[in-house]
Amino acid sequence: MKLTGALLSSIVLTAAVATPAFAALGGDSATVQADVARMKGALRITSSAGVTVHEITTSYGTVVREYLTPGDKVFAVSWHGPVNLDLRQMLGDYYTQYEQAASMPHPGGHRHLVIEQPGLVVQISGRMRAFVGRAWVPGLVPQNFSVNDIN
Amino acid sequence: MRNLIALSLIQVTFLAACGGGGYTSGGGPPPSQNIATPGPPNVETITVDMGPSGVSAVNTAYVSIQICVPNNPAMCQTIDHIEVDTGSTGLRILAGALNLTNVPLPQETNGTPTVFMTECLRFADGSSYGSLRFADITLPVSMKTASSVVVQVIGDPLYPTVPSTCPGPAENTVTAFGANGILGVGPFAQDCGSACVATAQPSTYYSCPSTSTCGASTATLAQQVANPVTLFSSDNNGVIVELRPVGSAGAATVTGSLVFGIGTQSNNALGSATVLQEDTFSGLITATYKGTAYSHGFIDSGSNGNFFTDSSIKTCTTPPSPNPWYCPSAEVSETATLQGTNATMVTANFSVANADGLFNTGYAAFSNLGGTNPDPTGMGFDLGLPFFYGRNVYTAIENATAGSYVGPYFAY
Repeated sequence: MKLTGALLSSIVLTAAVATPAFAALGGDSATVQADVARMKGALRITSSAGVTVHEITTSYGTVVREYLTPGDKVFAVSWHGPVNLDLRQMLGDYYTQYEQAASMPHPGGHRHLVIEQPGLVVQISGRMRAFVGRAWVPGLVPQNFSVNDIN
Repeated sequence: MRNLIALSLIQVTFLAACGGGGYTSGGGPPPSQNIATPGPPNVETITVDMGPSGVSAVNTAYVSIQICVPNNPAMCQTIDHIEVDTGSTGLRILAGALNLTNVPLPQETNGTPTVFMTECLRFADGSSYGSLRFADITLPVSMKTASSVVVQVIGDPLYPTVPSTCPGPAENTVTAFGANGILGVGPFAQDCGSACVATAQPSTYYSCPSTSTCGASTATLAQQVANPVTLFSSDNNGVIVELRPVGSAGAATVTGSLVFGIGTQSNNALGSATVLQEDTFSGLITATYKGTAYSHGFIDSGSNGNFFTDSSIKTCTTPPSPNPWYCPSAEVSETATLQGTNATMVTANFSVANADGLFNTGYAAFSNLGGTNPDPTGMGFDLGLPFFYGRNVYTAIENATAGSYVGPYFAY
């Protein structure tokens, strides 16, 4: 498998049906489709070196990327846009772990949050109209994939 | 004549470097700061202290505000320790600091008389949920007033069920929130804006057929929580935060002024301040620091530190882990160059001291508190309240003419 980052495929879909469902991180590509429907967004799929990236863009300027392993598991999510996302939906089964960690006293006030645990990393930053965030599960990240490429 | 030519050459050099805008140097001795005297018609008193009881706030600026039932001056309450936040929009009060029995603020409906609206206010580190209610507000020192303002009552006991789409951690108490309320006087006129008019955004506005069945909802601009400054009858195009300087050792308290309006009175002229136009969509500017341009730059009284990336400054090793505060062994002086979308540039000087040492003082105000910026794009550069000490920082509201410029912009 080459790691040069060439796009192996690129298709664009638009959500047609609304099937409410939760989960992204730790889920599979079916949950990504549910996220597209919930967010009423347009989907663009690219893949490189075995990692598939589902990018959902909404009409109001939020971009969400969900990173899937060759085994079809979401190992990372990232987002940026004017509103902060529904993290219960984005983090799926990892939401509870996030909430417990974020509830602890932390520097950064209302503007910045970093969680670094063996099973979950979350970084969120920003203010009204300009939020950015990403989260990943270290144990699910494929070998040879740099987390710096989650953006 | 010779001097004039020399000056012109210098200007040309800077113009070329900045892509066509002007340039103001922040180097050398700081210019004398002129702080407006609190009082009518447009100057409120700001205090930086430890915050309300049960809170140990750091670098948080507060004002007091009077909340009244609309058209009922007998039903009022003055609430202290309302955070001044140039990075958000709208007035929000914690229910724990507001006596809703004595001050029964009427609720906002979605247009149907029995369907009320609530809001989920999102921060990077959690959410605050509560009802939307109308209030007549008065800033008690300047006597600035606005009528029938849509105010969020965070943690409203009438709505104990937080929707599942309003993700935690919940910041619905005074201690979790760090203030009795927040006065969002940032660059935007409404908190959400046109995005919420067109589409029911995830975890923002809700309509509630009953108090426990609130669903995501659109909100017209008039229904949204607005920047209170835009609702004043005058001095309504922006604010100036004017805080006194803080030395390297920190200060237990700091006072200053929150000036309403820009270029509307003799006490709020732009003067020689450099205007940095913000991106009209995101409110962002660019900061260049040690050769790297950071496109997610902003100046924000609601940030309690200066948050930026510098791997040459070590972070603190005390808990929590990771600890994002910087802990240099000796204070370091840093310089960034800020650039607006209008290409104007200005130097931003700040310093960073050992955060552990600062916190050991027990003080509330530090001009040299810095930390890492977790913006996942690596593009974050956040000049928070430490940057405001000793400077008059202007925040002009979108689409408003302030001085001879149109907001949104920062200036200092």
